[in-house]
Amino acid sequence: MKPAAFDYLVPQTVAGAVDALAAGAQVLAGGQSLLLEMHLQRAHPALVADINRVPGLDTLTVVDGTLTVGALVRHKTFESPGAVPGPLGDLFARAVGYIAHPPIRARGTMTGNLAWAHPASEWCALAVALDAVVELRSTRGTREIPAEDYFLGPFQTARDPDELLTAVRYPLLAPDTGVAFTEHRRTGFSFAQVAVGAALTVREGVITGARIGLANCADRPLRAHNAERTLIGSEPSQPVFTAAGEAAAERDAAPVPEPYADVDYRRHVVAVLVARTLREAAPV
Amino acid sequence: MDGWLRREDERLLTGAGRFVADLRVPACLDAVFVRSEVAHGVLREADCSAAREVPGVAGAWSAADLPDLPPMPLGEPAREWPALVEDRVRYPGEALAVVLGDDRYHAEDGAARVRTRIDPLPAVVTAQESAADTVRLFDGLSNVALRGEAGSPIDGEVWERAAVVVESDYRQQLLLPSPMECRTILCVPGGDRLTVWSGHQAPHRLRQDLAGLLDRPEESIRVVVPDTGGAFGSKSAVFPEFIVVAWLAVLLGRPVRWVEDRRESLLVATRGRGQDQHVRLAADAEGRLLAYELTVEADVGAYPHLGVAFPMQTAWMATGPYTTPKVHATVRSLLTNTMITYPYRGAGRPEATSPLERTMDVLARRLGLDPAELRRRNLIPPEAFPYRTPTGRTYDSGDHHAALDLALRTLGYDGWRAEQARRRADPDAFPIGIGLSCYVERSGGERGSLHEYVGVEAGDDGTVTARCGAASSGQSHATVFPALVAETLGVEPARVRLVEGDTDELPGGVGSFGSRSAQIDGAGLQHAAGLLIEEARERAARLWDLPVEETSWSDGAVHPVRGSAAMGLSELVKRTGPLRIDERYEADMAFPFGAHAAVVEVDPELGTVRVLQVVAVDDCGRALDPDVVRGQAFGSIVQGLGQALYEGVPFGDDGLPLLDGGLLDYLLPTYAEIPPIELGETHTPTPRTPLGAKGAGETGCIGTPPAIVNAVADALRLAHPERLQMPLTPDVVWRAAA
Repeated sequence: MKPAAFDYLVPQTVAGAVDALAAGAQVLAGGQSLLLEMHLQRAHPALVADINRVPGLDTLTVVDGTLTVGALVRHKTFESPGAVPGPLGDLFARAVGYIAHPPIRARGTMTGNLAWAHPASEWCALAVALDAVVELRSTRGTREIPAEDYFLGPFQTARDPDELLTAVRYPLLAPDTGVAFTEHRRTGFSFAQVAVGAALTVREGVITGARIGLANCADRPLRAHNAERTLIGSEPSQPVFTAAGEAAAERDAAPVPEPYADVDYRRHVVAVLVARTLREAAPV
Repeated sequence: MDGWLRREDERLLTGAGRFVADLRVPACLDAVFVRSEVAHGVLREADCSAAREVPGVAGAWSAADLPDLPPMPLGEPAREWPALVEDRVRYPGEALAVVLGDDRYHAEDGAARVRTRIDPLPAVVTAQESAADTVRLFDGLSNVALRGEAGSPIDGEVWERAAVVVESDYRQQLLLPSPMECRTILCVPGGDRLTVWSGHQAPHRLRQDLAGLLDRPEESIRVVVPDTGGAFGSKSAVFPEFIVVAWLAVLLGRPVRWVEDRRESLLVATRGRGQDQHVRLAADAEGRLLAYELTVEADVGAYPHLGVAFPMQTAWMATGPYTTPKVHATVRSLLTNTMITYPYRGAGRPEATSPLERTMDVLARRLGLDPAELRRRNLIPPEAFPYRTPTGRTYDSGDHHAALDLALRTLGYDGWRAEQARRRADPDAFPIGIGLSCYVERSGGERGSLHEYVGVEAGDDGTVTARCGAASSGQSHATVFPALVAETLGVEPARVRLVEGDTDELPGGVGSFGSRSAQIDGAGLQHAAGLLIEEARERAARLWDLPVEETSWSDGAVHPVRGSAAMGLSELVKRTGPLRIDERYEADMAFPFGAHAAVVEVDPELGTVRVLQVVAVDDCGRALDPDVVRGQAFGSIVQGLGQALYEGVPFGDDGLPLLDGGLLDYLLPTYAEIPPIELGETHTPTPRTPLGAKGAGETGCIGTPPAIVNAVADALRLAHPERLQMPLTPDVVWRAAA
């Protein structure tokens, strides 16, 4: 478990990092996935660009109701619900505890998860549910891609190899949004078999807004549009949440079998977890 | 000791431990093995030429490049296990070639350049597939490697006349022992000697094996066991990689080291358990057991070896703690395309305990009896010891009723039953279940390994040196044995040091496995210290010109019965010369026992199991160091939880284990999974040694898994919980609950 030989570059600016990517570098931010892959010799980058010295990438900013998370913001930042204003901060704080364990949360980054695109990633599921936008920079310029168009499959994204994922942006959630995040997994630090994040808006007794993100329910993170549609206009109740769970399981999820979680079981878990998450987001 | 609980703690907990990988040896080469990515196949090519061109690579060899390389010892000539694959791959990860480099990085770069080609064959990874003999691991030979039985066949009438007969199938899944430090070996040639450093349980056996393999005198080899990060049974043999490393070190005249990494360990370290079982248990209407039959189909891996006979341990222990008059166990050991199964903490006793204890709970349900009461009616009573079982064991001692009663009291059994009833009346509450398990363990070893070298020596500086053939891989010998010798001699423990794990320092040794160190080495050291006292009294008596009967021993000194003169050990050595006892101590095996109980809460919708409480009452006779015994119990219980709930090796259709994610796929229990554990103890000394200590440390692996599984079955009120096969992952529990 030793990496093959590689060159190591420490760019001091975003421009320098982008130049390195143009030269074929892979990006080292938190390193919690890349280094493991290199040690397992499943990744053999000839050049690694360590962006940890690039100033300005470690900031969280809120401008005009949009949160921007830089490429060096670590998972642990979100452990405090106050790090991000309003219910969005609460939702992130509920989700982050499911990410590995404290040493990994101290190093790994949110945008690193988006770049890596593991189907079980909590952040990726929330990104698609929350209409996040991914900012990509290369020597060719900067572009922005909505999260739902960004994830293409397991470890596959719309990011070109020479593009640096510099930031991800989220619209803040309205103050009266109810949020919840639940995860089903085999041990306290294993990957999610299924994870569900939800944001619900209930006005005058009726659900007016619903966002449901699903992790490890398909080959990529999903937003449960079908389940969300069953909710809009309904009064929050257990039968409504159960029906939404069933819709998510049958019409949104496209589970991939893996040991200890075949398709039937995983669909069942999706139904149960979605209903439970919704109930928590909007107590009946 | 300065606040540390154990002598080892300061070194190990401050990072000052020295493991094989920490040893600095000039000009040492690191070995990396090129491993098969198929489970079964014909090797067509293993070309190392490109690897030899890689900078930093000192050499690369396939089997064809090393025609004289000896095969694994202890195999059958017709089913030889070569140290490097010659023409047939029989398990995934089997070594095809070896690359030596200046360091592990260069060696891995070289290994990546070795070109191999294997034509795959169909793979068999279960005992059932193997038994069909449609795919044979050795052409023209059956996959059945061993048949055996314990007890006598049970007459058909017994089953027909019984009020109740329970039949069931169980699977004891393959487990990976997973010590923190994987296997290690460092061979340093020098002059006409070879020094071998290895994290190992049996240094003398390793020396003997290597001497035979390398065809050189045993005295020319020194085996040293430095700090070792766990073993659990997986480090007691010689392995193909060890042969290659030792061979190349001698061939090249250079130090060569192999430090197994986790990815290799997941593929090619020895496995534990691996049995498919069928049981029949008959009882009369009052719940008195009449007969028990256990059929074991054991998956023993790819090559015949020591482990082939280990399923017999399950057969011999099949009787368990009950007075069942008729017990019959049969075993078939079957070859499969996996790395070999071998002892893993518990080694045959968990596989015996689990089917019996699970079936006891089914029987209790069928009879409408409380499972504790059913056990009480059948446990061997204290006055029945020594108790000869129908499967050929003679249990030395026991008080099973006391252990069970203490376990129930410690748990608060009645309180949990009341809580269970309350929850059953509440449709919103998660159900809870209570599971019990009574067990008998065997410690000390089998015939042929029930002896050990022990020695005690007094120095002229007031120190005492204890020596024994045990080899610690984390069992606190450096704390426990000096304290025992000090207590026997009546000296300060700080004056006693322990020497073990170095064949140059010891005239002989067997090693540490089968929970034998406290029982055999401990009793032996006590015995040797006693002989030292006798010798000291005789010498002092001669000096004082007294009959030896007119001397006595106390506080580490000889005293004349009359008068106030006293002679301590150092003075005695100064005046009479070296004082050293070396003994071969032998004692019979013993049978620790106990009762475990677990309470679990099940989320039936998701199938998740939350363990609310584990209680373990273990009886290891005299506990030499209660803290160390409790530490052993705790760790063993956590490994038992691993078998019950988390650990397993899934296989793909191609026979490859689905463990690409390493320990993210093979889930060991971690801190977050450890439930409240309460330990209780009873102490029934073994009459087989004056010391009275039995082995401790394997009991959690034996007693805990069935308690957990029984608790889950109880929570779900399953009448016949065959679908609950370990590990009880959420999908398994959900399906069983449906």
